[in-house]
Order: sequence, then C-alpha cells, then structure tokens
Amino acid sequence: MIQSHDPRMNRLGLSDAPAAAVAKEALDQFGTYEVFHQKKEGAPYVYVGPVHAPEADVAFLFAKEQYSRRFACTGLWVVPTAAITVTAYVGDQESAYDTLPLVTSHKEPAPDASSPGTSAPAAERTVVEAGEAGETDYDIFHLKKRGKAHQHVGQVRASSPGHALQVAKAAFGEQRPVVNVWAARSADFLRSDAEDRDIWATTPEKKYRDAIAYKVQDRIEKFKAENS
Amino acid sequence: MYGSASTHDLPTTAATGLENEDPILLAEFEARIARGEKIEPNDWMPALYRKQLIRMIEQHAHSEIIGSLPEGTWITRAPGFRRKMAQMAKVQDEVGHAQLLYSAAETLGKTREQMLTDLINGKSKYSNVFNYPTPTWADSNVISWLIDAGAIVNQLANAKGSYGPYCRALDRICAEEAFHLKYGHDAVVHMATGTPIQRQMMQAALNRWWPAIMTFFGPSDKMSVHTEILMRWKVKMASNDECRNQFLDMYVPKIWEIGLTLPDPNLRKNEETGQWEFTEPDWEDFKRVINGDGPCNAERIAVRRAAEENGAWVRRALRTPKTQYVRPLA
Amino acid sequence: MDPKLDLLYRLADDQLILGHRNSEWNGLGPILEEDIAFSSMAQDKLGHSLQLYSLLHQLGEAEPDTVAFTRNAPQFHCCQLVELPIGEYDFSLTRHFLFDHAELLRFEALATSTYEPLAQVARKLRGELKYHVLHANTWMKRLGTATEEAIERMQRSLNFTLPYALGIFEKTDAEAEIISTGLFVGEDELRSRWLESITKVVAQTALEMPDVLSLAPVAGGRQGQHTEFLQPLLDEMAEVFRLDPTADW
Repeated sequence: MIQSHDPRMNRLGLSDAPAAAVAKEALDQFGTYEVFHQKKEGAPYVYVGPVHAPEADVAFLFAKEQYSRRFACTGLWVVPTAAITVTAYVGDQESAYDTLPLVTSHKEPAPDASSPGTSAPAAERTVVEAGEAGETDYDIFHLKKRGKAHQHVGQVRASSPGHALQVAKAAFGEQRPVVNVWAARSADFLRSDAEDRDIWATTPEKKYRDAIAYKVQDRIEKFKAENS
Repeated sequence: MYGSASTHDLPTTAATGLENEDPILLAEFEARIARGEKIEPNDWMPALYRKQLIRMIEQHAHSEIIGSLPEGTWITRAPGFRRKMAQMAKVQDEVGHAQLLYSAAETLGKTREQMLTDLINGKSKYSNVFNYPTPTWADSNVISWLIDAGAIVNQLANAKGSYGPYCRALDRICAEEAFHLKYGHDAVVHMATGTPIQRQMMQAALNRWWPAIMTFFGPSDKMSVHTEILMRWKVKMASNDECRNQFLDMYVPKIWEIGLTLPDPNLRKNEETGQWEFTEPDWEDFKRVINGDGPCNAERIAVRRAAEENGAWVRRALRTPKTQYVRPLA
Repeated sequence: MDPKLDLLYRLADDQLILGHRNSEWNGLGPILEEDIAFSSMAQDKLGHSLQLYSLLHQLGEAEPDTVAFTRNAPQFHCCQLVELPIGEYDFSLTRHFLFDHAELLRFEALATSTYEPLAQVARKLRGELKYHVLHANTWMKRLGTATEEAIERMQRSLNFTLPYALGIFEKTDAEAEIISTGLFVGEDELRSRWLESITKVVAQTALEMPDVLSLAPVAGGRQGQHTEFLQPLLDEMAEVFRLDPTADW
C-alpha cells in the first residue's frame, strides 16, 4: 500500500504494485457542449468554453459551476458542439461573411416580421424573420478579434445552417470586423430560465474565493515594526 | 500551476520538418503572428507548431490536475472556516484549470481520452514540483503562495502567446490565480508572524520547498533551432532564466520582510546586472525525479488512476453511444 | 436546551459534517466537470454552517471556529447520515439527493420562521439550494435509468441510505416549543413533504421506492449518539487547529 500524507488517499488503499497499462475507450469523456454566459441583465451572451457531458441537462449542471462560480452571471446557454456551423476564420480587419459562397438559390430574407405561428423571441434579441414554412430560428455569434470570445448578435430564421449564414450576412454583415461566425439552431440550446436566475444570487457573497478578501498588509507592517 | 514550456527536453538535432511545409502557407502563418494576430483552431498551421502546442498545453493541464493533490492533502484538515473553504475553492480551481486546458489542447486534435490515458500510464510529464510531498499544513501554504506565484509569472507570459484557445484559457486562469496568490500569501504571513509553533512550521516548510521552487522554471534554455522557432511563433514567450529572475525579484523581498530565511547562502541580487545570483539547483536530481524517481511520483499517478477507475462505472452509465465527437470549437 | 439553539445546532452540525465529507471528493470525482460541481456544493454547505454558527454566536455561543473545531462527537447534534464515510459515488450521490431535498424544504419552511435572522438566511440561500437539488435530481434520473449496473448500484444505495435519512427528522425535547413558537413547522411535517418530494423523483427512474414509513430510522444523532466515524472525522478536521489553539491561522 502507498502511504500518503493525505488521509483521503490512505482510505483509498492504493496499491504500490506496478499497474498494467490501460487505455480509455472512445467517448469515455463524452462529447462536448459549448457554453455561453451573460454577465448582466441585457448584455449579449458571450462564449466561455466547452464542457464534456453526456446530455444537455448534465452539461448545464457542469457549465454552471465551471464557468459561473466566480463572477456575476445572469444566464447560461449550452449547445452541442456538433450543432454549431462555423465559417472560415479571416484576418482581424476582414469579414468572414465575405468568404460565404455567393448564392442565388436561397431566397433573400424578407424584412417581414409579422408572420404568425413563429415562436415569440425575447425582447433583447435582434430578429430577422423570413417567415417561410420549414424555416426555424438560428442563433448567430460573431468573433470580433482573434483570441477574443464569440458574442451573440441575434437570431435569424432560415431553412438550413448555410441559409442561416446568408440571412445573418444580410442582417449583421455591415458589422466589421467579423473574424468568424457561428450559427446554431435555436432549438438545440438549453437555456437557463429567467425565474432560475436566483441560482447565482449568492455568488458575489462568496468572498472567501475572491482576492480582495485577503488583506494582509497591516499584519506585515505590524510585524516589521515590532521586529525592527 | 505550471512552470514553463520545458524546452530542455526538446531534441537539439532532430529535424524541424519545416522544409516539408507549404512555403506560401508558412509565410502567411508567420506573417499573421508577426502582425500580432492570434492563430485559431481552423487555421492552417505547421505540424511542428501543432505538436509543440499540444505537448505544452497538455503538460500544463496535467500539472493542474496533479497539482491539485499536494494541496488537496490538507483539504480535510485546513484550520478554521476561512481556510477550510478557501482551500476547497483553490483545489477546485486547479481541477477547473485542468478542464480548461485539456479543452484548449483538444482543439488541436488530441482527445481528452488520449491525454488522460497518457497521464495515468506515466507517459506524460507534468510540473516536477508536484512530485514532492506536503507533510505539514505549512507546506501546502508554500505551494499556494510561491508555486502559484511562479505559475503566474509563466502564465502571464504565455497568455501573450499566439494560440487563441490557450490565450482564452489562460486569461480565465490568471483571473482565478489572483485569489490563489493572495490566499497563499495571507496564509504564509499568518504563520510567519504568528506563534512560535506556526513560525517554525513555516520556516521548515520553506526550507523543504526552496530547492524545488528554484527548479520550477526548468534549467537554462538551450538555444537550439527549435527554441528559436518556438519563440518566433510565440509558443515560448520568455526564457526560463528570465522567468526565474522575475520571480525572485518579486517574491524574495516579500519572503524576507516577514522574517523568513531562505536556505541558500549565495542568494543575492546583483544590483549592477539586476540579476539574482544563487546556488545552481541540482539538475541531476531534477532529471531523476521528472523521470519517475521522486518521492511522490508513484502516488500521484496511482491516485489519478484510482479516480479514473472508481468513476468508470458512472461514465459507462451515462455514455450515449450515438454521440458524435467533434473537437471543441475554440 | 433553548429551542433556537437546539434547532440551529442541528442544522449547522449537519451542514458542517456533510460539507466536510463531500469535500473529500475534491480531485477524485468521476469526471473533471462533476468534480468541480460537487466541490462547489460542499463549499456551499460549509458556508451555510458558518452562517448558522454565526447566528449561534449572536445568541451567546462561542465563535464559529471554536464551536466547529473544538467539540467532540458527543457534543455534536448532526444526524448519523452525514457522518458516514463517502463510500463510492453512488452512495455519496444518494446521500446528497436525500439530504438536499430535506434541506431545500427545510429552508423553504424556515423562510417564514418567527426567528427573523434565521428566516433571512433561509430566504437568501434558496437559489443555491435550488441548484443543489437540480444537480441531485438530474443525477438520480440519469443513473436511475441508465445501465443495469448503475440501476443496481443506485437501488442498493437507496435501500441502505434511507433509514439513515429518516434520522434527519429525529425530534428533540424542544420540538413542541419549536412548533408552538413558530420557529419551524416541525420534523414530522418536514418528513412528509420530503417523502413526497423524493418519491416524485424516484418514480421517474427504474428504481423501486422502499416502503419508507415501515423502515426503522437510524436515530440518536440529535442526542449526541454517533457512529464510530464521527470522532475520527473531527480529529482529522481539527488536526492543525488543535496544534496551537491560541494561534490565528
């Protein structure tokens, strides 16, 4: 048995015999979900990173503690990585929309927003609706600078991911630079409910994991004064 | 918590493979880095860039997950609520950093399964300091303060590197490390300025850890073709000696001001050169430990392996075979 | 004992001991992300106990650190459920599920306590506890409907843990006064709400809910009678603190 300074490890009863080689199976760590958070009410959702999880509900549990345990947060979205369509990356001064294939077959998005039967979008989202049967909502994210994080710019209605990028180009293509665009079906996201915002209510009070809670200069000065 | 891109074990003679790369793409890639733009996962990149980044980020990730163990040793024994909760939060952060870094490495094409497999089979390196034990609470405090301080010196440098996902992970990590550093300093100051028992515990722990701390940034870099290329590509951002000197400059005075001593009679700052002088660390011993023969190597790997084995049934139960694995995006 | 003290000690000791136990998983969890989530909830439990010990301090008891780190097992009022070693993850998750449902319902009831400082704490922690229960339910449902191996493990853990969980609701001599003064709705009422709440979740799994009311509760914890595991836990927890009780750590 390995004797450890850690009582927890001694309880595990670790063998000190040489261990045989082992290999993890594929998907031992599951697939991944991409996570977006909202820092404050009304702010755009921003990409924070992935979590490994078997299903969206578990991904949400994981994302909440990995990405929002330290700083103020008012909302969280998770979406399967595989559900996101990604454009080419371009330079920091360019627009990724310029790399999209020129299309003639897709309908240009109609500026009509009064189509019945579409899901009611939340107020803060910019919506471009085409109002076509078989179309669905897509969330669009822009990367403004390499090394920074993708940000939500709005929703569009489209019949396919490729179409969604075309619609997004019409709606948001004026913005520059756009280094990269992500599009994903809105239905593929799991989003925190507004009524569950209180799960973050006490985060700012957890000072023990905040640098500003540790002020030790007085103690140092006192020690120096006593020992000089 | 990670020391440096360990260029000391890079090949000095092996080919860089650059002659096999498309010269036009290579020129564009280098021009992008020279302009100060970051490289993102879908960009074209030379095989050597990908390989070295995977190696570095993976080692960094392993250093976080293994690095949670020496401080985790005191997680059930931290004295008082304030320390108990902070120690838990700090150890948790190290696991969180591992998660962020494994994800960044994954964007380059190595799966987390492969990286964890290499770790638990002893095939991967991690920061050598974590192969030393923490026999007292004070040892844990020394890590919290000084190993994290060293790691921050390195990580702040690397956060200016060229690979986007690694930079994003490091920005987040550095923000969290600010708490670690303050917490560690607070704990050390309380011990050093406290009762005789506390003071003695802290001095003993510092004496134990100092030789390992001096090796944290690795031996002086060998200037090789590889090193030069990695610096040009902003993979390696500062030399090991620069990092070590910066660390000594920032922290030795803070150690001395609370009445602690360091077990190196030759340690002093040369005011003319601005460089610290010290007894050369025992690099032979460093090599021996990093190659597996340190006091805790076997335990660290055995613990990680046990955690993976004990959790296997949980992961088996939740696995959804229909899942299509794709690399994380950014 | 004064009913307020009686109630607070039971709540605070439960949270301290379970938070301590769950922190033992830190670095050893089944997957990195879960390791992080479980640690957060353990930290929350420690935080809850600290707030409750602080209320006790306002009522004239010793400082939270002194109360938490210097008493011995017979002076603790926690239920035996929280003392048990962490075991394997099925047990720790089941304990988390059974305990946190009771905790959420307890704090919901305490939000209208006549003891206003406690009511304030209870209201503030609501969101935190909501996440804890969401976490517990998600795991229970996932594992309870997963592989044969997982279902068997969870069933075994549920059967083993339920009698201990019933010990959460062990009454003390102060119970009648606690109810009559409006401090709290009482343990019997809490138990019936809890049973309804956990039964609903278990019904969504392949697990069978034992006939809970026919089980003999593992009681005694509230009277200072504990398992053989509590004193070693306390000795370990206070190992550094007791090196120099005069020190400021």
